[in-house]
Amino acid sequence: MRLMHTRLPDFYEKAILAGKKLRPDTEVEIRGLENFQTGKLASLRVGRVEKEIEEITQDPNVEKVEVIIIPRNTETNHTVIIKGIQKNGKCKKAILESMYLSSPGEDCALYDVEEIDDRRGPLEPRR
Amino acid sequence: MKLKYRLVPQGAADGIVPINLAFIDKQDIDEAGLTYKEACAMVGRDFKNDPVTINVIDQAAVTVTSDGIMNDGAVVAFACADYGKINKDFGVMSISEMPYSEALMAEEPHMKQWNTEHYCGRRLYRGPSPEDRKPLESHNEHMTMTGRITNNNTGSEMMNVVEMTEILALFTGQMEIMKGGDLLVGTAGPDVSVGIGMVVRERRGRIFGWNYGAGKTAHNSGIYAKTVKSDYPAIAADKKIVAEYTLRALDIGMVPGLHLGCSPVVLSIAKAYGKPIALDNIEEAAWVELESIGITREKLSAPTKPMRREEILAHADEILPGMETAKKYKASEICHIRYAENQG
Repeated sequence: MRLMHTRLPDFYEKAILAGKKLRPDTEVEIRGLENFQTGKLASLRVGRVEKEIEEITQDPNVEKVEVIIIPRNTETNHTVIIKGIQKNGKCKKAILESMYLSSPGEDCALYDVEEIDDRRGPLEPRR
Repeated sequence: MKLKYRLVPQGAADGIVPINLAFIDKQDIDEAGLTYKEACAMVGRDFKNDPVTINVIDQAAVTVTSDGIMNDGAVVAFACADYGKINKDFGVMSISEMPYSEALMAEEPHMKQWNTEHYCGRRLYRGPSPEDRKPLESHNEHMTMTGRITNNNTGSEMMNVVEMTEILALFTGQMEIMKGGDLLVGTAGPDVSVGIGMVVRERRGRIFGWNYGAGKTAHNSGIYAKTVKSDYPAIAADKKIVAEYTLRALDIGMVPGLHLGCSPVVLSIAKAYGKPIALDNIEEAAWVELESIGITREKLSAPTKPMRREEILAHADEILPGMETAKKYKASEICHIRYAENQG
């Protein structure tokens, strides 16, 4: 199962369908992955998230579901690709540099939430 | 139960300080019978809606600033709280004591300062161990984070990542806050911006590790080094205090560029004191950064009459480069004593 993965556009579709399953009028907003145009997500997690989106709509007072996806550890390590593009559109030389970014974590989305059910696994590395 | 702490509130020093900065004395935590984590949580709960950084300071211990100068006191834990809470994974980090060893003394020549009468026999804390850093062990900075706030580089750079404000709290300044001493608060400016990159090679340094030695620049960003941190607000100790610690290192034969980082402050004091500077050991990339703020090989080589120790301390304000715009404050002018209550 660990090798099975969901296409990024399929994830958006599945998340929206799960949010509207009980009440089709429910608004579903997904944000945080805007910078990823392509990619594959772990299918096991996608299934759980679909189930959890549906679960959150079981409260009849929920009119909108927000699905926010951020790095678990919000000091993220990025590669900077600096390319010099020539007249013919080709890149003869590129420089790679690393860049760290600190950005708001889950606390900023949860500070006024009454009940937080944290189902994430521990952060200890796999042994 | 009440726990005493010191607070430099957001807006202090004529509006320069952008973030609430709390400091707890390790001795007060010990007397209260609390762990560092429990103490930081108590202080964090004192801020219902606001973010705050929390540093635990052991005034009886010693630490080393990034340019290799030993100082009284040490950060032994650092944390961030927001809306009264501390993030369970990343919100607090404690620092393990570093034991004395002959191997350490042989590998890191600047640590000979630890053998002097000023520091001998005192506990040493620098940066966190890999175990202390879990689960952030693979990441760049020695950092804690909760909500809007991060507390970086073992409690010396505090950021609000939503408002995108930041302050540099140099360790000697933190100790003046603890002691009720003398501070400089202002904008870092080019000299401080360049100086931050002139580091020594250390295992488990507060900010840097083994990658960059004396005479090198960790910034390695040429003429841009003077701008990378120049617009930050900064809290530092009064220059005479920084001069005293640096003179102690020079007095036992520590050489800038060889044993000590070639920061503008260290170079300027060594030059005024007539002490040797390892000019040939300063790498070209570091010279580019130093020359961008007017510190050249020619100026450092020019013959001058050495000043006495007392003269340097008396004229520290003129000799030491530093912040671009800074104002002197008594710690009591910007810092309040507060008490956090244990709410069970």
